[in-house]
Amino acid sequence: MKLVTAVIKPFKLDEVKVAVREVGVTGMTVSQVRGFGRTGGHIEIYRGKEYEFDFVDKLKVEIVTTDEMVDAVVDAVSHAARTDTVGDGMAWVTDIEHVVRIRTDERGPQAV
Amino acid sequence: MLFAATNIPYPSWLNTGDNTWQLVAATLVGLMSLPGLAVLYGGLVRKKWIVNTMLMCFAGFSLTLVVWMLWGYNMAFGTFSHFGPTGSFLGDFIGHFKPLSTAFDETGQAVSGANTLIPFHFPTATLAYFQFVFAAITPLLFLGGLVGRLKFKAWLLIVPLWITMVYCVNACLLWGGGYFAQKGAVDFSGGYVIHLSAGVAAFVGAAIVGPRRWQDRENAFPSNLMMVAVGIGIIWLGWNGFNGGDPFYAGADAAAAVLNTNVATAVGLLTWLFMDMFFSRQKKATFLGALNGILCGLVAITPSAGWVNGTGAILVGLISAAVVWVAWNYLSKIRPFSKVDDAMGVIYTHGIAGLLGGLMVGIFADPKMIEYGVAGKVYDAAGSFSVGGWFYNGHSFHQLWEQFIAGMWIIGFTAVATTIIFYLVKALVGLREDDETLAIGDIAIHEEEAFPEPTFGEPVLTPSHTHSDNK
Repeated sequence: MKLVTAVIKPFKLDEVKVAVREVGVTGMTVSQVRGFGRTGGHIEIYRGKEYEFDFVDKLKVEIVTTDEMVDAVVDAVSHAARTDTVGDGMAWVTDIEHVVRIRTDERGPQAV
Repeated sequence: MLFAATNIPYPSWLNTGDNTWQLVAATLVGLMSLPGLAVLYGGLVRKKWIVNTMLMCFAGFSLTLVVWMLWGYNMAFGTFSHFGPTGSFLGDFIGHFKPLSTAFDETGQAVSGANTLIPFHFPTATLAYFQFVFAAITPLLFLGGLVGRLKFKAWLLIVPLWITMVYCVNACLLWGGGYFAQKGAVDFSGGYVIHLSAGVAAFVGAAIVGPRRWQDRENAFPSNLMMVAVGIGIIWLGWNGFNGGDPFYAGADAAAAVLNTNVATAVGLLTWLFMDMFFSRQKKATFLGALNGILCGLVAITPSAGWVNGTGAILVGLISAAVVWVAWNYLSKIRPFSKVDDAMGVIYTHGIAGLLGGLMVGIFADPKMIEYGVAGKVYDAAGSFSVGGWFYNGHSFHQLWEQFIAGMWIIGFTAVATTIIFYLVKALVGLREDDETLAIGDIAIHEEEAFPEPTFGEPVLTPSHTHSDNK
């Protein structure tokens, strides 16, 4: 089992959701995060003073999936989140040791 | 007079009670715009539009006041320019284009074509400021239809043009003693001049500017309902000055207008609440529904506040909220209403409610509600003013007909003049921000946002890993 984590541009969330649903993903977790990458931050001005906002708003998407599906999920996420501009974000895959579906107590791949 | 005139630091025509109330009432009306409408709209728009929306409110208020001092007041309430014979439309539709600039302009006794019966008991500065806050709130009301895509520069041109070409004309015609006032049409505090006109301008303007981005319409979550509560609370109580100030004397009718305004509003709120609970799809009472009910009651009682009795006020609140509820839920599905993105629904809660209120003057106005002057055997000769509607004037449709004609004028003229102004501004600076800017909102336009979160921690001048102790 794999955990696909992606940090994406916030307005791309809906497209990512539709794309991963199409490849058979049944659930995902989203959190609001801020970070910096190659995108520069932006300047805001309050009472004449400039402030540099170097951490940019992003969304972190987490999807637990099976070994067989992981490539399709990563493709779906990266294609859907792409705008071909700096700051499109990053996706990575990590191994999962164990999964439990809390309601049914199922373990392992069938819990995904 | 018991006191020698030399001991009183006012001219003899000035009444301190009248002057005090008029200035307090004007300030209350000003508070309806700032911060009332600014935080109401700020709370209703998406988070990314708060700064832009509030700044448009504050800038619009300031622009109107400068226009008002330089030419607006005299065009709306000064002596007529007479483009035609006296008594004709062209003769009596607009005043002279001249400023309020001299000491006499501000401190001399106020005069207005609106009231020729009894002289005002306060100076022109009081009347001009009172009338200004009404002018100022009108573009801010129709801004509600345009938020979330209108260019900031366009707004800075629209306000002075609209005040000059639309507001001053309508105000002169109905309040400055102009053509419709002479015909007998009445508007106590601006159901027509302000609310109907703002509703029409919002609708026409929204049609010309075009809709918000579909993403913004789809995700049109209000940013903060507590700020909506603060805004609408200030607007409701501020309306005590809006309607309570319009008799222009701190007398019995001012008190009646305040009470009528509040009861019509309470009934409007409850009507919308109950209609939501029994007839809406969700069958639930909602806060934003109550907000609409409040606005319907306030707007609809405005043209009649001091001319209807308590029964009339309750009926005005009930009828306006019920009709606007139906329009909001059903008329909005029909063309052209379904095709125009009037962001805050100004055409319903101000346009339709204002028209209904203006017409209901012709039905419910009670001639025993004396706006000013004193009625009775002894005093009639001194002159008094009141209005009689269908119920109380022997079932005559005369007043209703005059109200209808004036209402049609407001709709037609405002629509045409607003169209011309918007296309002119479009040619000069453009009306819409581009889509990239619209996607970002406040930060792209003003480099400010309502809730900035610049950093997670304290900034440091020298990072500790470069410190000599840590090498």
